[in-house]
Amino acid sequence: MVLLGILVTFLGFLISFLSLGMTSSASGRLVMVLIGLAVSLTGIIGVINRAFIKNANWRK
Amino acid sequence: MKKTFLLIPLLLGASLARAQAPAAAPPAAPPAAPVAITDADVKNVEAPKPDVRLKGDPDGALTGTVSDIAVGDAKKGLTIADMANQIGQNKIAINFTWTLIAGFLVMFMQAGFAIVETGLCRAKNANHTMMMNFMVYGTGLLAYWLIGFAIQMGGVGGVGNLGGAPPLNTEFTISLFGKTLGMFGQHGLFLTQGGTYDVAVMVVFLFQMVFMDTALTIVTGSAAERWKFAAFLVSSFVLGAFTYPLFANWAWGGGWLATLGTNFGLGKGYCDFAGSGVVHAVGGLTALALAIIVGPRLGKYNRNGKPNAIIGHDIVLVLTGCFILAFGWFGFNPGSTLGASGNGNLRIGSIAVNTMLAGMAGGFSAMFYMWMRYGKPDASMSGNGLLAGLVAITAPSGFVNTVGAVCIGLIAGVLVCLSVEFVDRVMKVDDPVGAISVHGTNGLWGVISVGLFADGKSNYGGSWNGVTGSVTGLFYGDASQLVAQLIGVSTLIGVVFVMSFVFNLAIDAVVGQRVSAKAEMDGLDLPEMGQLGYPEFELKARPAGASVA
Repeated sequence: MVLLGILVTFLGFLISFLSLGMTSSASGRLVMVLIGLAVSLTGIIGVINRAFIKNANWRK
Repeated sequence: MKKTFLLIPLLLGASLARAQAPAAAPPAAPPAAPVAITDADVKNVEAPKPDVRLKGDPDGALTGTVSDIAVGDAKKGLTIADMANQIGQNKIAINFTWTLIAGFLVMFMQAGFAIVETGLCRAKNANHTMMMNFMVYGTGLLAYWLIGFAIQMGGVGGVGNLGGAPPLNTEFTISLFGKTLGMFGQHGLFLTQGGTYDVAVMVVFLFQMVFMDTALTIVTGSAAERWKFAAFLVSSFVLGAFTYPLFANWAWGGGWLATLGTNFGLGKGYCDFAGSGVVHAVGGLTALALAIIVGPRLGKYNRNGKPNAIIGHDIVLVLTGCFILAFGWFGFNPGSTLGASGNGNLRIGSIAVNTMLAGMAGGFSAMFYMWMRYGKPDASMSGNGLLAGLVAITAPSGFVNTVGAVCIGLIAGVLVCLSVEFVDRVMKVDDPVGAISVHGTNGLWGVISVGLFADGKSNYGGSWNGVTGSVTGLFYGDASQLVAQLIGVSTLIGVVFVMSFVFNLAIDAVVGQRVSAKAEMDGLDLPEMGQLGYPEFELKARPAGASVA
């Protein structure tokens, strides 16, 4: 799960970065960057952090 | 008669209107013919006679005269070339002095961070928390001197305000999308390699080093009260040597983010005047990565996941530390011009005012938010609101007006309260001092706010990041600047966080990040440092008969 979270978080950056080469319109790039940000935040909050919470010390 | 009464106010109005209108400009005088100054003229400038100087100079009129100008050739005497060189050196000397003093102020912020974090932790961890904040300075300094500075600034290609620093001229680049993208610098290892034993390079190093160390010290807050000291040393070294310098190169060292404007037509490229992103978001996101890895303190969450408040031991230290930080921030933001003379650097006054306004706006909005939500004006969150405002204004401080600064600060103060609640209750990540919210969340907000509030009135030598014109945000007509800023935010979250997370996972596997449960319960002062922060205080707090050593 943690590895998946790392990959998803990095994937978000790649989506934003690729906007530079895929379109030259500011609004097109803006949409892609926002999608990238959403993906990265999902990776951190929804995947990585959730994996750690599952084994948190306060659950034991 | 009636007409006369009507005419009087009309005439009065007309005369008043004339009085308020600008006076007609007098006819322009013919331009004076230029006067040629020769070496013979400067030779005739009289210096105070030595016997006069022997009597003292109470009003300062005789100190600092033509006799203080260095003469290149004694046989020729004073020449215009000597005077021109002296003017140039005076400009660079002013900029050196300004940048160094600003750097000294930023260095003093370490003391502020140390006592803010220590005050927000429990007394049984005071020595450990102070020692982390103390040793992070030296650890970061060594890492940065060895390799970090070269990665960050080795290819910046000149710092005009400081006389050039030409040896910093080698950047490793890649070609992508038909553009050349800077990745990391290659000159400056040990401050000797590649001709970097240079006075201007030394000034750049000192100023950039204290910025880097600020990012490192942010992390110690989120992992406080359960971080193994040995792991802290290794983690800080890695952050100062690789993670921080890499992003700083992309933003400030001539890297690919800075050239988003020249390469892809996105505003003036990624703009981060003094480091909301480079310093604070890098520190805050690393703090998040580490807080996730080390896990919450014992007793922070109940079995059902409900958080418990673990109160710090000294609010006096906390608020005193906030004041020290606010003072140091006057080095952080205005100092980031790297000069006071030339290239629009007189804007330092505006930057300083923006800094104080945004900081206190953040303090106010956090205080009122807590007051309305919980019934009391919480002191520690007021302090965090001040810091949040300062963090948020760091990136836009050089590009916005005072109204923009206050808006940015007000939003930051509320944002830090909401973020603390989100991190604590939803993410269930334990951050004893609020470092993730103050520096991470508001660092990202500061970066975004440049793309919104930059008013297009700043002019630092006519261009920024190689693009002609002034930095202009969405509210003043340039949407592409916001896109550049958001790409920076995406890089921080998608690359910097991932790098910090992976590095710290590796350190956890090799060294182990977290202390034992027993050490945590006893407090880290004795198990980790061998000495209590407050031995007498601890004696009184312990049950009768318990030993302290």
